[in-house]
Amino acid sequence: MSRYTFFEKEEPADLPRQFFIALCLIIAVFFGLAGRLWYLQIAKGPYFKKLSENNRIRILSIPPARGIIFDRKGIRLVNSRPSFNLYVIPDDVKNWEVLKEQLCKLLDLEQEQVEQRLAQKKMNPIHPIPIKLDITEDELGRLESFKYLMPGVYIEVSPQRNYPLGPVAPHVIGYQGEITPKQLKSGQYPENKMGDFIGQWGLEKEWQQVLGGKKGGRFLEVDATGQEVQLLSVQEPLSGNNLETSLDWDIQKVIQEAMKGKPGAAVVLKPDTGEVLAMYSSPAFDPSSFTRKLSTMEWNALFADPYKPFQNRAIQGQYPPGSTYKMVTALAGLEEKVITPETPFYCNGALPFGKRVFHCWRKGGHGSVNLHKAIVQSCDVYFYNVGIRLGVDRLARYAHMLGLGEPTGISLYPEKGGLIPTALWKLGRYKTAWQPGETLSLAIGQGYNLTTPLQMASITATIANGGKVFRPYLVKRIVSPEGRLIKAFVPQQVRQIPVNPEHLRLIRQAMAGVINEPGGTGGAARLVGLVAAGKTGTAQVVALGKRGGRDHAWFVAFAPLESPQLAMAILMEHGGHGGEAAAPVARKVLEAYFHLPPRVASPPAPQAQSEALVEEKNLD
Amino acid sequence: MIDRRFLQNVDWPLLSLVLILIAIGVANLYSATFQDAGGTGAPFYQKQLYWAGFGFFLLLVILFFDYHLLLSVAYPLYWISILLLIGVLIFGRSISGSQRWLTVASFSFQPSELVKISLILALAKFFFNNEINHRYRFGDLYLPFGMVLLPALLILRQPDLGTALLLLLLSITVFLFLGVEWKTLFISIGGVVLSLPLFWYFLRDYQKKRILIFLQPESDPLGAGYHIIQSKIAVGSGGFWGRGFLKGTQGQLRFLPEQHTDFALSVLAEEWGFVGSMVVVTLFLLLVLQALNVARQSKDRFAMVLALGISAIFFWQSLINMGMVVGLVPVVGVPLPFISYGGSSIIASLIGIGILLNINMRRFIIQS
Repeated sequence: MSRYTFFEKEEPADLPRQFFIALCLIIAVFFGLAGRLWYLQIAKGPYFKKLSENNRIRILSIPPARGIIFDRKGIRLVNSRPSFNLYVIPDDVKNWEVLKEQLCKLLDLEQEQVEQRLAQKKMNPIHPIPIKLDITEDELGRLESFKYLMPGVYIEVSPQRNYPLGPVAPHVIGYQGEITPKQLKSGQYPENKMGDFIGQWGLEKEWQQVLGGKKGGRFLEVDATGQEVQLLSVQEPLSGNNLETSLDWDIQKVIQEAMKGKPGAAVVLKPDTGEVLAMYSSPAFDPSSFTRKLSTMEWNALFADPYKPFQNRAIQGQYPPGSTYKMVTALAGLEEKVITPETPFYCNGALPFGKRVFHCWRKGGHGSVNLHKAIVQSCDVYFYNVGIRLGVDRLARYAHMLGLGEPTGISLYPEKGGLIPTALWKLGRYKTAWQPGETLSLAIGQGYNLTTPLQMASITATIANGGKVFRPYLVKRIVSPEGRLIKAFVPQQVRQIPVNPEHLRLIRQAMAGVINEPGGTGGAARLVGLVAAGKTGTAQVVALGKRGGRDHAWFVAFAPLESPQLAMAILMEHGGHGGEAAAPVARKVLEAYFHLPPRVASPPAPQAQSEALVEEKNLD
Repeated sequence: MIDRRFLQNVDWPLLSLVLILIAIGVANLYSATFQDAGGTGAPFYQKQLYWAGFGFFLLLVILFFDYHLLLSVAYPLYWISILLLIGVLIFGRSISGSQRWLTVASFSFQPSELVKISLILALAKFFFNNEINHRYRFGDLYLPFGMVLLPALLILRQPDLGTALLLLLLSITVFLFLGVEWKTLFISIGGVVLSLPLFWYFLRDYQKKRILIFLQPESDPLGAGYHIIQSKIAVGSGGFWGRGFLKGTQGQLRFLPEQHTDFALSVLAEEWGFVGSMVVVTLFLLLVLQALNVARQSKDRFAMVLALGISAIFFWQSLINMGMVVGLVPVVGVPLPFISYGGSSIIASLIGIGILLNINMRRFIIQS
């Protein structure tokens, strides 16, 4: 016999029994199915037939109320108002001509527009087609009185985003937009259907799950003429939760006003927690323009804007830090012991190095310069010397330690990491060795260095708080619509930088000098009754762009000098000099936060101001 | 290879059942997708016919060879299908949120359909090689169970809960049939019950939802409950005689989602009523019994396990799909063999039938 045979051996005695059991089970199961079919089709047949005869289940979704976004003091930055939307369910329409005519008459729409809308979704005859969103109360009244003429017309109330204070930090708050086909496919929004509005940017997007709530629905029974017969069931929507942000509307407002019409960005942090008190990017856009559907033309106009209003310059803009980087160089120099606070360098206005001459911004030179004076007066030659002694890689290590060259980890899309070059990086990127001369540019914050305003605010906070690096965050608490705390967020310290606290103190003292001492470059931020500390910076624009060739102006600051309560970075694109263009914005923030009387245009010490005005890019 | 005696032994009843089911399926597909006429490419029913033709060609090819040849390719086929499943996860084309398809030269196919056959082959080979004289204990089963779990987990990842469950069900059916020790059986059942929460944890949210919704469909009429409710209305409104071909309002007006794939039977039940649905139910009952009969008459262990496994596929698929359509089983997305639209499904089913016919043909001639 074949090697394949099995049953000639010992056939298990219970095999026939197994087959018999299987047979019985199969027959039983199929009988069950038949019974169920009998139940549905014969016993309940007339019932279901009636249900389908009237073609009669309509599902109208009830959109949930979207969560409110508050500032840290409880001011509503974004809330919602009801909006009435008009839908047509094609299958219920009896007379298209009458419907179109009526809609045009009642809603002030062109016949063409209506037809265009109706042609959009012929796919599913019971799927509601939006005809006009956000209709006025007048229109609503007129519609209600003529509704009997137009079976198939449904009105849905949905919450619409409302901006009671006007656009507040639109890049941070973000906006809502219609869900895209790609997002629908991604499976990340299982609750949503085509036509739904979801957060598409900023906090609205990051916290969509929290703010969005859960849709409810009315399950309507409709008769053959399209009129509602009865409500089969209602599922109440679940309102979204509210966000309490760390933003401070008072500060945000001051910044928005100060930066109006000038491209740039500003970030204000609490140095002891990493909370973001303000974040602004200019030019901004108006998020309320997204509450209705934008036409392609409007979209294109917004996106074609050369000033890129959709870019969040505070986290996406990458700029050379300019002289604000000198704190990093100073710290690295002290820590690596290549200088002491008193190590003098002589500045005669330029430093020959290799085949080139590196200039100081002050042509006449600063004379003998120690660390304090170097920061106060922003002496380039001093930092060239420190850079030479440090070398590129040691400098980069301190920059990384402070958090430069990588995203801060704020949960806001899309944060850029900037760039802190090393010798290895250059070899990988350009296939050429690092030139020692390039380190000189780096040491004063030019060259390949790229940082975001958020990063600069963050390292200022770290210097201010004695070396703690926090992950910046925007949302303090999630609260239910009834006010119940759902989640509270605590500060997240990323690391403590391992440096001598005394070195940080020296740098802070020098930064105070920048603002408050004669000869300091930041005099424009000086205030009576508050000792603030800061640093000016001017970032060279290498490719002199189409929009004028002025350099970017930086100003970083914290205050008060002892026990700092806020730290910030201001960047004005093509603003020119930091002391001139950016420091006044910082001053206004300080005035608002510390409730100081606004400084009338009385110049500080005349010398200081002239210094502030003449800070120049380093023309190496 | 093929001789006249084989032809005499072709299981004509089984073959006729299949042909009738395919004919019903294509006609139903014509009705279900009637409204789509004018879409891109050939209409669904026509494509289904092409696939069926190709499936028949494969079926005939299978008949020419002694099924024992499958013994040597069983494991390689199993591993190939595992690789394909991994390929799906990496390169797969995703349709409505799940990655199930591989596209080769503009043909898309679903490796998870192929796995059903290759897994049974591998199991059959395993039990053929590892014959024992007592009932199975844990030690005897963990290897074949691993063979099942690997593809099941890969498929669950796509995610395709229905097919993953199907693989588990069909292998458990085979294990039980071959005989499992009582103690082992009880411990396994206990283990399964205890691991349910863990399994629950691994399910995607929408899968959890479907199961919850099944238990209480009216609680979510907008979402997952919609399928069940609309399908019940379609089936129920068919009444005794049905509304007639192309006249089902539920199907035609698109109340039914996926009316040509997983819910094809609802369209049929609406248009052909209790009479029509009973015909289909009976045809499937006969198909499963006939397949089981092949297993019963098979003369070696490889053939028996193979035939059993294929019977189990037809049994579970038809049971789950029909149960789903009439609201007895959660919506998990299992096609109804020969009736639901889908090339991979019909080809895999016809390959299964080919193997059954082959086993039946050669049962009298053991030597080779």
